[in-house]
Amino acid sequence: MSELRFEDVTVRYGKHTAVDGVSLTVPDGAVIGLVGESGSGKSTLARAAVGLAPLAGGRITLDGAPIPTRGRRPLQMVFQDPYSSLDPRMTIGATIAEAMPRGVDRRAGVAHLLEQVHLDPSTARSLPSRLSGGQRQRVALARALAADPRVIIADEITSALDVSVQGAVLNLVRELAGLSMLFISHNLAVVRYVASHVAVMRHGRLVEHGPTAQVLAAPGHDYTRELLAAVPGRRSKP
Amino acid sequence: MRWLRVARSPLGLTATVLMVTLLALAAIGPLVWGSDADVVDTDQILAPPSAEHWAGTDNLGRDILLRVLVAARLSIVLALLATVLAVVTGALLGAAPFLLGKRSGRIVTAGVNIAVAFPGILLALFFAVVFGVGATGAVLAIGLAGAPSFARLTQTLVAEVEARDYVAAARTVGVGRFRILLRHVLPNIAEPLVVNATIGAGGALLSFAGLSFLGLGVQPPAYDWGRLLFDGIGTLYVNAAAALAPGAAVVLAGLAFNFFGESVAKGLGVPADARLRPLVRKKRVSTPGSDPDVVLDVRDLEVTLAGPAGPVRPVRGVTFQVRRGEAVGIVGESGSGKSMTALAVTKLIADHGQVDAARLEFLGDDLLGPRTAQQRRTLGTKLAMVFQDPMTAFNPTRRIGAQLAEVATHHQRLTRRDAMTRAVDRLGAVQIPDPTSRARLYPHEFSGGMRQRAMIGMGLMNAPALIVADEPTTALDVTVQQQVLDLLATIREQDGAALMLISHDVAVIGDVCDRVLVMYAGRIVEELPTGVKPLHPYTRALMDAVPDMATDLSLPLATIPGRPIDPADVPPGCAYAARCPLADDHCRTVDPPLAEHGTGHRVACWHAGEELP
Repeated sequence: MSELRFEDVTVRYGKHTAVDGVSLTVPDGAVIGLVGESGSGKSTLARAAVGLAPLAGGRITLDGAPIPTRGRRPLQMVFQDPYSSLDPRMTIGATIAEAMPRGVDRRAGVAHLLEQVHLDPSTARSLPSRLSGGQRQRVALARALAADPRVIIADEITSALDVSVQGAVLNLVRELAGLSMLFISHNLAVVRYVASHVAVMRHGRLVEHGPTAQVLAAPGHDYTRELLAAVPGRRSKP
Repeated sequence: MRWLRVARSPLGLTATVLMVTLLALAAIGPLVWGSDADVVDTDQILAPPSAEHWAGTDNLGRDILLRVLVAARLSIVLALLATVLAVVTGALLGAAPFLLGKRSGRIVTAGVNIAVAFPGILLALFFAVVFGVGATGAVLAIGLAGAPSFARLTQTLVAEVEARDYVAAARTVGVGRFRILLRHVLPNIAEPLVVNATIGAGGALLSFAGLSFLGLGVQPPAYDWGRLLFDGIGTLYVNAAAALAPGAAVVLAGLAFNFFGESVAKGLGVPADARLRPLVRKKRVSTPGSDPDVVLDVRDLEVTLAGPAGPVRPVRGVTFQVRRGEAVGIVGESGSGKSMTALAVTKLIADHGQVDAARLEFLGDDLLGPRTAQQRRTLGTKLAMVFQDPMTAFNPTRRIGAQLAEVATHHQRLTRRDAMTRAVDRLGAVQIPDPTSRARLYPHEFSGGMRQRAMIGMGLMNAPALIVADEPTTALDVTVQQQVLDLLATIREQDGAALMLISHDVAVIGDVCDRVLVMYAGRIVEELPTGVKPLHPYTRALMDAVPDMATDLSLPLATIPGRPIDPADVPPGCAYAARCPLADDHCRTVDPPLAEHGTGHRVACWHAGEELP
């Protein structure tokens, strides 16, 4: 049972309110898609959850308890840019092992995790520069899994990837079913593919929230309709 | 390999020779000449240079040249000690804000900022007085005086690495600040620190000579170069060599450290001045009286860039035409050469690359010929370029209106007032509300979508025959993306301009274009009209790999195994073979030509249209 709950969360940077009274629940084992445009506050909400952005109001709880801001967080984040999220001077194995709790067999654990994200276990010895963007993003997912998290936050994890490797990462996200996840993306088609529920943010506020199929089929808010109408490829396909 | 190349360059060679000589001298100098240099000869006091004493003798009759050679050890050791002190203190101070957190860190930063503002030599003099006159005091003085600049450098570098996601990731898995500093931050900032420390050692050596020369450094009977210089200056008119010899030693040693630092920097950094040898031009295909309906005619286009390990060819033989009013899309992944193609046809590849083609004509003008005023005019007025990031495409210090007007004053010789009127009119044409007042704003006061529209508006200052748009909507939000694409379509209808749209997004291209060119590893692998079923396995995989609003949710997405080709390492045969399920030995050895498959449909594949396993 791992339920991540945002209650009336507000984040301010100076005078600017980035997140304005957002209440949202990521139920146990569900993938919640969070969509919105740049500046809508969706990434700030994610950073607030892992303690990388300060709260100005409200609270974020995991199973009713506040989230620890020191030590190994029960929430793990996967970042957008796979070229800046892996230490260029650390081997893949060391990067993943660093996230694992003490007292476990790290070598076996790394091999297992690499297999789980469909990378060859021998990858553990290479440096990130030997990997493609998609492979790096899978390593980042493996690192998040290594910390044995209760919830994973994925912040635009496919937007920096080439289309040919994006599919592999999305498939992997679907394979991890059973893990609670907040999946942030600006791409509605991607969210539709991985998330059971979708939440729409605009100007720091949550404007719509519901089961993905329902929200996409019968959007209740004008802005959601606008987003849907803007998805490319609706007119024709080459 | 890389270090060898650096060591072979004139700078590297000089640095190595000087450095080795210097270190050898420091190591053996006192052992070999130590006792001879202290021999007092009262018959030879203040002797001028002679065969016996090449640089003469001092006021006790000691050989000055020998003393200079012996002094090398002390001079260098003290300089290095001071440098180590400066780097260690600087690194500690620089890393302190990272370890201490925001509030206490700010105090340290403020202290460093104040210390940096003082001239180093002043600090050195101050500390020399505090710590007392002598070698120890001088080392402390020069070391601490050098620390603030290292602290500042470390601080900047640490702040840069701290902002990286991998530091945030390490923090969320519970790695402590100190461990993060040791494991993630320091290894990633070591290179610039080492380079600066080496160059700093040269500075410390000079400062040390300076302090000793002023009598604040090494005290007799010990002596370093500064001390010898001090002694020599007193007898300058009797024996100039007594001052020149230690002076020359200081200069040479300083140069050695500086050159060495420069060479280390070169070895660690990316070689900047790799040059291409001039290409042998291909035989041109000149068919007189080219088709007036063709706006852009490209045949067998090749682009060669200078890479770290020899020339790289990101575009390898691309042939296509754009007709009047037509919209052609180029899709491909990063590294496929699509942007390079756009830059080549707009003549925007500067000196670091070379463009060659059997034919490259824009409105009948040969773009491969020498640059003429006429050619510049045609490109300036008939071709519009829209870049991915409109923020970097505008000059941030000038108002939008003035930047647009410049195009008209330059190319159409309009007066400033008329050009401004035209600029406002064009901003209105790209649907910017209230263009008169918006023209007076600066680029940063525009939103991303508005900037991109203003960029298109700039292209419309004249009547372009072709708009080249390189990922014009990638940096924009979906709703804004739609507005920009609609705008491009409207312009095409109204002005009859042709469009060359470059994107990684198959869906966007499909919405806007009549014809699609699919690029892979610097070649066109398929050319097809929109709406026609693709035949190349790469195009098919590319389309299946992207989820859309109708994707079957019960099936996994199609994936393309492997990774895109590195332009520096293109295999023989079909470049896609390694990732293709249909590939056989023939594919891996013979590159398939772009062959006709129905009207307007060309495919470069030996297995075009075959069923995928």
